[in-house]
Amino acid sequence: MIEIRNLTKIYKLNRKQMRESRTKNPLKTAVDDLTLTARKGEIYGLLGPNGAGKTTTLRCIATIIKPTGGEIYVNGKEVRSQPEAVRTEIGFLTSEIKLDEQFDVDYMFRFFGRLHHVPADVLKQRREELFEYFGIRDFAHKQIKELSTGMKQKAAIAVSLVHDPDIVIFDEPTNGLDIITARSVTDYLRKLRDEGKLVLVSTHIMSEAEKLCDRIGIIIDGRKVAEGTVEQLYAQTGTGDLEDAFFELYRMNRREE
Amino acid sequence: MSGIRQIYGKEIARIFRDKRMVFSVFFLPVVIMVVIMSIMNNLIAGMEDDIERHTPVVCISNEPESFGEFLKAADLQYEIKNISGEKEKRQAEADILNGAADLLIEFPETFQADIEGYADGDAIPQVKTYYNPSEDYSSAAYAEISEGTLEAYRQALLQERIGNLEQVTVFTVNTDNEDMIIQDEQKAGGKAIGMMLPYFITILLFAGAMGLGVDMIAGEKERGTMASLLVSPVKRSSIVLGKVFSLMTVSGLSSLIYIIVMVVCMPMMMESMTGTDGTGLDISLSAKQILMLGALLVVIAFLYSTIIALVSVFARTMKEASTYIMPVYMVVLVVGLLTMFASGKTAGYSYYIPLYNTALVLKGILAQEVTAAQYLIAFAETVLLGGALTGLIVKAFESEKVMSS
Repeated sequence: MIEIRNLTKIYKLNRKQMRESRTKNPLKTAVDDLTLTARKGEIYGLLGPNGAGKTTTLRCIATIIKPTGGEIYVNGKEVRSQPEAVRTEIGFLTSEIKLDEQFDVDYMFRFFGRLHHVPADVLKQRREELFEYFGIRDFAHKQIKELSTGMKQKAAIAVSLVHDPDIVIFDEPTNGLDIITARSVTDYLRKLRDEGKLVLVSTHIMSEAEKLCDRIGIIIDGRKVAEGTVEQLYAQTGTGDLEDAFFELYRMNRREE
Repeated sequence: MSGIRQIYGKEIARIFRDKRMVFSVFFLPVVIMVVIMSIMNNLIAGMEDDIERHTPVVCISNEPESFGEFLKAADLQYEIKNISGEKEKRQAEADILNGAADLLIEFPETFQADIEGYADGDAIPQVKTYYNPSEDYSSAAYAEISEGTLEAYRQALLQERIGNLEQVTVFTVNTDNEDMIIQDEQKAGGKAIGMMLPYFITILLFAGAMGLGVDMIAGEKERGTMASLLVSPVKRSSIVLGKVFSLMTVSGLSSLIYIIVMVVCMPMMMESMTGTDGTGLDISLSAKQILMLGALLVVIAFLYSTIIALVSVFARTMKEASTYIMPVYMVVLVVGLLTMFASGKTAGYSYYIPLYNTALVLKGILAQEVTAAQYLIAFAETVLLGGALTGLIVKAFESEKVMSS
């Protein structure tokens, strides 16, 4: 279970960043008092436009960055006091995280398996299963730099799941993937959900959120403005389509600048 | 511990799996060094041969008859140009300046008569020689003729005048004394090596780790592969130590290869540069010396690796890291140079200056002059400094500003 209580993340901008975002305020609130709970056995989607704070939230959960305020519990472990324990529970993937290009997929898989203390026999079994599912076996011994974007993404997904985590966090899971690979990824996320795992994804693609997520939290300007199943969101906004629902919420909650 | 081992293993595998990397880190520099050395060697030998083969062009003004006879009798081959008058002398000087002639010998006009009719109280005739030290041929001709041939000619004339030379020799110095040099051969060898080795070691240890260290940290950040380590359950400190230790290994290995090649090639190099047979550099280290050297080299490699890692961690890209590391490299170069040319007594406080003290102690070990206190101060200070820097790197790894910029 992931429990986020009043999460706030404020970045200090340097002069260049201030100039770029045309502001004189050196503090930028990326996430503003966000509270949400995602449970085992569901796919929870953070839906919002670019810059809404989705990635920042996920990075706070993965202990890559530290919250400015509030708390995050991952299976009961707090991100600031037990970062290593939190990282044992999760599999985290974004397109920014890449695998060392000089190694082959197999080496990377085994390397991260050892980092996660996966016993050798379990590692072998995981390798069989994940390589089979994502069709990696054919290029398992190729250097990662020789792989295509789709192959790299598949390899990265397999590696991030090497330790069979209870919680899987994917930032924009289908970003940059072709339609077939994207489908196999979303299918796998459903499979994980069906196995009782918690899957937390961020996306700005309405159709993906609509089809994939059991519950959706809509984030605008760092704040959660609505949460619920797709039907609940329709009812809340009086619409029959996620895109319309989103625009309705966006219109109501967009901060005046 | 397991985390450190895994990271260390990965970094080492990254280098040793890549044949090109192994070649460029360990072998290319050595190959380049050997090639440069042998080219230098050949060029110097070639130059010496060429000077030896060259027949000196000697302009002589007022050449006395007896000098020509002396040259013929001694079978000395010079290209003699006899000149007379101010104008020809100026021409000869111009020739020496542009390399067409090598030496000008100016005898007094009445040299032969002055010598033959010498009586007590007469002025002693003076022979003047002119040469150009910037020209190799001219320098060689000056050394050979002005200091050698003319002296022999003087002796010959003296013998003619006095008959038995032994009457005026009174005594000789070291004409037949092969054992005149009393010194500890090993200590002398150590001194010669001790002058150069610390310089090379400090530079090589640093240079060996520099490129890789930049790639290992700033490069990983830039390529986005660092983030995959940061979301794994390994402690930040394990990542740092794994990387620093692998860097130490590589810098240690590459400098070891250099040193072996250098010790093998140095006698060869010294031979061609100084004309000695290079045996003055034979150095045999005692077990204690080797142990002291080895332990010190390990901690120096540790300190350098942490310095490189610290600089790299604050850089956003490899390019930036390479720019930051250059001034540090310059400092290391200068410190090495300082010890190479430091002579006289070293002030006590020098052994407290980090970096500099390790170079001093390296030099001291090889010359068998270092005290236990000096060694321990340098050793402990290096370890502590390296440890402190490691702490800083771990702090930097924990900072999201540094790691996700």
